[in-house]
Amino acid sequence: MNSNRRRRFHLWAMAEVHVIGQIMGATGFSESSLFCKWGVHTGAAWKLLSGVREGQTQVDTPQIGDMAYWSHPIDLHFATKGLQGWPRLHLQVWSQDSFGRCQLEGYGFCHVPSSPGTHQLDCPTWRPLGSWREQLARAFVGGGPQLLHGDAIYSGADRYRLHTAAGGTVHLELGLLLRHFDRYGVEC
Amino acid sequence: MAAASPSVFLLMVNGQVESAQFPEHDDLYCKYCFVYGQDWAPTAGLEEGISQITSKSLDARRALVWNFPIDVTFKSTNPYGWPQIVLSVYGPDVFGNDVVRGYGAVHVPFSPGRTAVCENVCSRHKRTVPMFVPESTSKLQKFTSWFMGRRPEYTDPKVVAQGEGREVTRVRSQGFVTLLFNVVTKDMKKLGYDTGPPDTQGVSGPSPPQGLPT
Repeated sequence: MNSNRRRRFHLWAMAEVHVIGQIMGATGFSESSLFCKWGVHTGAAWKLLSGVREGQTQVDTPQIGDMAYWSHPIDLHFATKGLQGWPRLHLQVWSQDSFGRCQLEGYGFCHVPSSPGTHQLDCPTWRPLGSWREQLARAFVGGGPQLLHGDAIYSGADRYRLHTAAGGTVHLELGLLLRHFDRYGVEC
Repeated sequence: MAAASPSVFLLMVNGQVESAQFPEHDDLYCKYCFVYGQDWAPTAGLEEGISQITSKSLDARRALVWNFPIDVTFKSTNPYGWPQIVLSVYGPDVFGNDVVRGYGAVHVPFSPGRTAVCENVCSRHKRTVPMFVPESTSKLQKFTSWFMGRRPEYTDPKVVAQGEGREVTRVRSQGFVTLLFNVVTKDMKKLGYDTGPPDTQGVSGPSPPQGLPT
C-alpha cells in the first residue's frame, strides 16, 4: 500500500476513472459457441494506471436458452487530463466450431458510460458482407471477409467503404467510479 | 490530521446466496470465496464458505434454495481490484461422485447514493450470476470423465474472477445462481470518489430464460 500512496501523490492533480464490470455475454448470433476479443481505446490525454487494456473471453456453448455467457471481468483504472478521447470499448465476436476453426460473427463498439454508477449496456454488432461470391463461400465453407485494421470498429473515418450486415448483441454491465471530477468543474 | 483526511475507505458487504436454477441437476451445494486486488484487505467476517446441500422443491417451482449468509468487510486505498465473489456449485452424478456443476463470478456492487444526513451510503442489490463448466476437449474424454466421475474442473476456482488465460478455455453455461447484496461504504466520498445515484430498484444482471423458476 505504501507504493500506491506515493504514486497517488504524483497524480493528485489528475482526475481518475475506474471502470469495473463484466462482459456478460451475447445473444442473437446464428452460431452458438461464441467468444469475444475486446479492447479499450482512449485519447492521448488518458493514461492507464492499472488493468489490462485488451483480452479475450472464454468460448461458451449455452445449454439453456440462446445467450452465450462469458462473465469476463473488466477492471481498469485511468487518469486523465482532459475529456477528449473518452474510453471506448471495442469488441469482436467470433464463433468456434467443433474442429476448432474460428469465424467472425460481428464487430461492435460502445463508449464507456460517462455518469457514475452501474450501467447495463447492449452493444449491437455488424459484420462485413463482401461480394456475392464471398457470401456464398461463407455459407458453405465458412470464413468471410474481416477488417484489416481494427480501428475501423470504433472510428467513423473509412466506414463509407463498407457494406455490412447485422450480427447479434453483446451485453455488458459496467460500473463507473469517478474521482476528483468536481475539482475541475466537470459535471457528470 | 489523519482523522481529517482518511486514506482508507471501507466496504461492508452482507447478503446471501439466495437460490439457484439448474434445470438438469439436483442435490447441489455451493462454495463461495472473494477475490480482490493487492490494495484490498478483509478486516472482518468470513471470506469463504460452504453451503448446505439443497434439493429441488416438490411443488411446481422446482426451486433450489440455499439462503446462505455472506458477511464480510474490506478496507482499501484504491478501487482497482474491487472484490468479486466467486461461486462454485457441486452436486452428485449418476454414480454418486461429487462433480462440479458450475462456476461463476460477479463484482460486489458499488454502493451508490447518498443521504442528506450521513457520509455512509447504503443500498440493496440482486444479482443473477450465470454458471458454466469447462468442457471436455474430445468426445472420448467426455465419455471417460462421465464414466470415471472426474469431470474437467479448475484447479483454483479463483481463475474465474480473472480475465487472463481465459481465451483457451471452452465452457458450457448451464444454470444461474441468484445473490442478494447489501453494501455500505465509508469515506469513499471523503476521498473524492463519486459512485453515482442510488439504485433502489435493486434488480440487476441477466434474467434467466423463460420457463425457469425465478
